[in-house]
Amino acid sequence: MSLLEGLRFSRGDSPIHNLDPRVKFLMTLALFVSAVIFIQLIPLMAIFIVQIPLVIIAKIEREWAKSLKGGLFLATIIFVTNIVSFYFFRGGTLTTENVEYALSLTVRFLVLITSFSIFFLTTSPDKLSLALEKARVPFEFNFAFITAIRFVPVLADEAQSIMDAQRSRGLELDKGNFLARIQKYIPILLPLIINSIRRSLELAEAMESRAFGASSTRTNLYELKMDRKDFTVMALSLIALVLAIYVRFYLPPFGPLLPPATLI
Amino acid sequence: MGIVEIRDLHYSYPNARAQALRGVDLTVDEGEFILLTGPSGCGKTTFCRCLNGLIPHFYHGELEGEITVTGLSTRENSTAKLAQNVGLIFQNPDNQIFALTVEKDVAFGLENLGIPKELMIEDIDWALEKTGISHLRERGTHELSGGQKQRLSIASILAMRPKLLVLDEPTSFLDPLGAIRIFKVLEALNRDHGITIILIEHRVDLASQYVDRVILVSDGRILRTGTPEEVFTLEETRLTGVGIPKILELSKRLNQRGLAFEPLPLSPDSFIEQLERNIPPMDVRRVKKTVVQDLEGFTGEHNMSPIIRVEDVSYTYPSGVQALNGVSLTIHKGEFVAIMGENGAGKTTLVKHFNGLLRPQEGRIMVDGVDVSQVSVASLSRKVGLVFQNPDDQLFSENVESEISFALNNFGFEKEVVEKRVDWALNLLNLEQYRKSSPFILSGGERKRVALASVLAWDPEIVVLDEPTIGQDYAQKELLRHFLMQLRTQGKTTIIVTHDVEFVAECKPRIVLMADGGITADGSTKEIMTDAEAMERASVSPPEITKIFSRLSHHGLPGDVLGVDEAVDMLMRLKEAGP
Repeated sequence: MSLLEGLRFSRGDSPIHNLDPRVKFLMTLALFVSAVIFIQLIPLMAIFIVQIPLVIIAKIEREWAKSLKGGLFLATIIFVTNIVSFYFFRGGTLTTENVEYALSLTVRFLVLITSFSIFFLTTSPDKLSLALEKARVPFEFNFAFITAIRFVPVLADEAQSIMDAQRSRGLELDKGNFLARIQKYIPILLPLIINSIRRSLELAEAMESRAFGASSTRTNLYELKMDRKDFTVMALSLIALVLAIYVRFYLPPFGPLLPPATLI
Repeated sequence: MGIVEIRDLHYSYPNARAQALRGVDLTVDEGEFILLTGPSGCGKTTFCRCLNGLIPHFYHGELEGEITVTGLSTRENSTAKLAQNVGLIFQNPDNQIFALTVEKDVAFGLENLGIPKELMIEDIDWALEKTGISHLRERGTHELSGGQKQRLSIASILAMRPKLLVLDEPTSFLDPLGAIRIFKVLEALNRDHGITIILIEHRVDLASQYVDRVILVSDGRILRTGTPEEVFTLEETRLTGVGIPKILELSKRLNQRGLAFEPLPLSPDSFIEQLERNIPPMDVRRVKKTVVQDLEGFTGEHNMSPIIRVEDVSYTYPSGVQALNGVSLTIHKGEFVAIMGENGAGKTTLVKHFNGLLRPQEGRIMVDGVDVSQVSVASLSRKVGLVFQNPDDQLFSENVESEISFALNNFGFEKEVVEKRVDWALNLLNLEQYRKSSPFILSGGERKRVALASVLAWDPEIVVLDEPTIGQDYAQKELLRHFLMQLRTQGKTTIIVTHDVEFVAECKPRIVLMADGGITADGSTKEIMTDAEAMERASVSPPEITKIFSRLSHHGLPGDVLGVDEAVDMLMRLKEAGP
């Protein structure tokens, strides 16, 4: 769970936080695509190194470290399974290429985590919803998205209260065989579901009372506006993306894609 | 024509046998501040829903009679249209906040109405200022305290500039100071901006000091309407089971014994002013003597063997919030203890340690000689029964009987014993007639009793109740108080976590005050309730009667008076002593 923990938005003030969410998305996409098309260790390392100053500018080092720590387990699995499978396919030997390949897959994973971190840690859900609105996603979906985020902590608290109440009545979740354990979740799930239904009714009443759906031309307190900085970042991201594609597919050393089979 | 005009209004919910409203007639004039009160289930909430058109547009069912609000018929106008004139605020602040930041939430209604951005900002500024939360503008809504959330709910409605505000028990989840803040906000809106307010409240002691008129609702009808003095002094008001403001009751009783309070006061200020007209200030050292000697503080009967020992316990949640900071406390067998303090002071965190739901990170807790870190929650729960605030967080069975036997089966009682214990618990909480009913069709108060029964059924030695009075009306609280007294006589150790000072003043337990994760005071009800400094540090406001007496020391009166009986007695002695 700490992997997800590291992706939770925390308010902050930095040039990255203040970027237009659409531009930031493009930037993240450029990083993402480059990481996916390259397979060799050196360009992947290069992308990773490019990301570090971004993390520092955004002042999210601590949260980023947390998400890396959360991803460490998966990264280890990626590395080990690759090494192990090469080892057995090759009948008990390994080449440096094999190790390099396993290593680059691992680095790629870290690059992906980092690019997600940069995007989600610095983009408030409110801004994300504005971007969705600009993309002409209907307001109802947008509203559902924001409400879902808004109620995550509320529901987590409620689930905790229910667990506490039932454990206080002698419910022992970790006792018994698999089937018995599943049955033990009924006293927790039922109140949770019933409370949610009750809550949704109350929410609907409150929405009505706040004139939800009153006007077909809904306005918004905040509006997205791109400034010079946003255009600069957008241009840079596009250039980087084109460059990455060119290097990957048209420059000889990185040449056409090598399928993993050739490594064996 | 009034801002609300209702003629012979009847309403029944779909599929309901009985009518929820049975002939309501009411005119509310612009600028009035009204307190609407009545026992639970009398139709107050249904009435609110009629005012902004939730009935009949959201809840269908049968609506008969005439109802216009701000000149608009609620039948012909949608709730969205009415929302610009009538603002409805609900009990649970969490279920009426939609946005992630304070500013965005206040904007929500305005955005829905399609108000241009420039105009919106003006309304938001105004609403935040009037509710006193301008400094929270940029905050995330999940970071707010309960009181702040409820003020945000008011701000969000206020931004739409309604002419009428309707609040359905807005202070149920708040501590007394939080409630007073809400009432002050409403008072200013009514006075300075002429906004008409209809407030539904069980906290009549505080609320009646602010309102012009009281409407008493019972059984789907308006029973009485008039000034607080008129309505609350009627015998039929008392019979409906609603609370009566203590200061009003005190002055009424004093009048019966020959004093002259006219008109009957509602606030400590006006009470003292009138009292001094009746009994001039004087040197009454001899009165003080006799009075104090006769009214020694209530001391509980318990043998002094400790049953819970908390030794220097600290606890920090994974989120980094330090909830307990070096708490030490000893509770003895048979004691009755109230743990008080504002929300977030660490009260609930502390009691969750008693049955092992939380383990001390530092320090040690011994329950009946057993270290809580060494045993499972299930085995500790046999000794410590914890009843949580919201019964809906634990009810799940198809009928009340199996709800109560759930824990008994978990603990592995024999079948015959389970049956016997269920009968006993049903009987104890007067639930026999609901044995086969689904817990979900019962009323809030009844569900609370089922939750209580489901814990008491295994007869734990220590009973812990977390906020047992939230959302309960006066009659239900009285029932609970009698029940707690009964537990005491059985020799049970009883611990309640609460911020309901009026309730505590009537129960007279030992009080433990908490603030910022530590215990700040510990003593008898009298000692604590009259220690203004300690009370303030824990953000607990003393009961109204105590507020009066703490200001009467120049009469030579002791400040430690909690109840009406005691106060009448004391003041009559003062009168008899003469100048």
